[in-house]
Amino acid sequence: MSPQSATDDTAASLRLARGGNATAFADLVRMNQASVYSIGYRMLGRRDAAEDLAQEVFLQLYRKLASIESLEHLGFWLRRVAANLAIDWLRRATYSATQPLDAAAEPADPRAEGDPLMTRALARLLGELAPAARAVMVLRYQEDRDVAEIAAALDMPVNTVKSHIKRSLTALRGKMIGAQLVTAEGLSEESP
Amino acid sequence: MSEHIENQLRRALRRIEAPPGFTDRVMRALPESAPQASVAVVSPSRPRPRAAVWWRLSTPAALAASFIVAIVVGQHMGTERTKREQRAGLAASRELMQALRVTSKKLDLAYQAVKTPPETADVTEENRS
Repeated sequence: MSPQSATDDTAASLRLARGGNATAFADLVRMNQASVYSIGYRMLGRRDAAEDLAQEVFLQLYRKLASIESLEHLGFWLRRVAANLAIDWLRRATYSATQPLDAAAEPADPRAEGDPLMTRALARLLGELAPAARAVMVLRYQEDRDVAEIAAALDMPVNTVKSHIKRSLTALRGKMIGAQLVTAEGLSEESP
Repeated sequence: MSEHIENQLRRALRRIEAPPGFTDRVMRALPESAPQASVAVVSPSRPRPRAAVWWRLSTPAALAASFIVAIVVGQHMGTERTKREQRAGLAASRELMQALRVTSKKLDLAYQAVKTPPETADVTEENRS
């Protein structure tokens, strides 16, 4: 399936789902569940919590479907609600704020490149960041969003997002060096 | 290991698939009613929201009305007080003018009495005797 036809399919699903078509809504869920579930997993650190969060996000989407104007809006809305709901759950201590990612529970990705130990360690260290900083990093590096969109999604000034990214990269780098996963020379850093 | 930390983060934070059966579980959890239609249809009879709106607005409206009434009454009372003071001032002025007129007449009489020639007084005495 070409990217254009996939986009057309998604647009058609959105149109049909807004008209009350349950099958089309299921298609929308299927097309976006990896993004939403992954945000939940990276933020909350647990698969069961991530599934609870993703379900809640899609239930909210079902109720707010009439206000979704386009595919871009749909993606933005899902990321925004997922990230903010996760921050809210973490702040209400529904789930432990410093719950490390259970590396053993994370399924191995056959497409993964590089050092899998390093990859898992980074994901685990990310779980030690404060909720807002973690959300910024997840939207930046998992969802590949720019700082303006992250700022809009999390209701933060752009400079705060930039500051979160810079400080989090420095903290992660320090933790990795501290854990002797890398040497200071071996891990370069770049401001966003 | 001279790799950029941002690239490592992108690899570490690669999306993961939702567990099998996730979509079905979401669909089972959906409420029975269909999602809100894309074109909002406003029902002609929705008493609760209207009552709620009225209830929400009643207190500020009452406060605003009280404020306006207080201003109007205050202005009216101020105007009345000014009129009363003006009337009292005019009466006092009239009384003062009257008093001045009376005083002036008395002074005129006294002056005339003082200016009357003494011969006239002697003649009068002679006529009496």
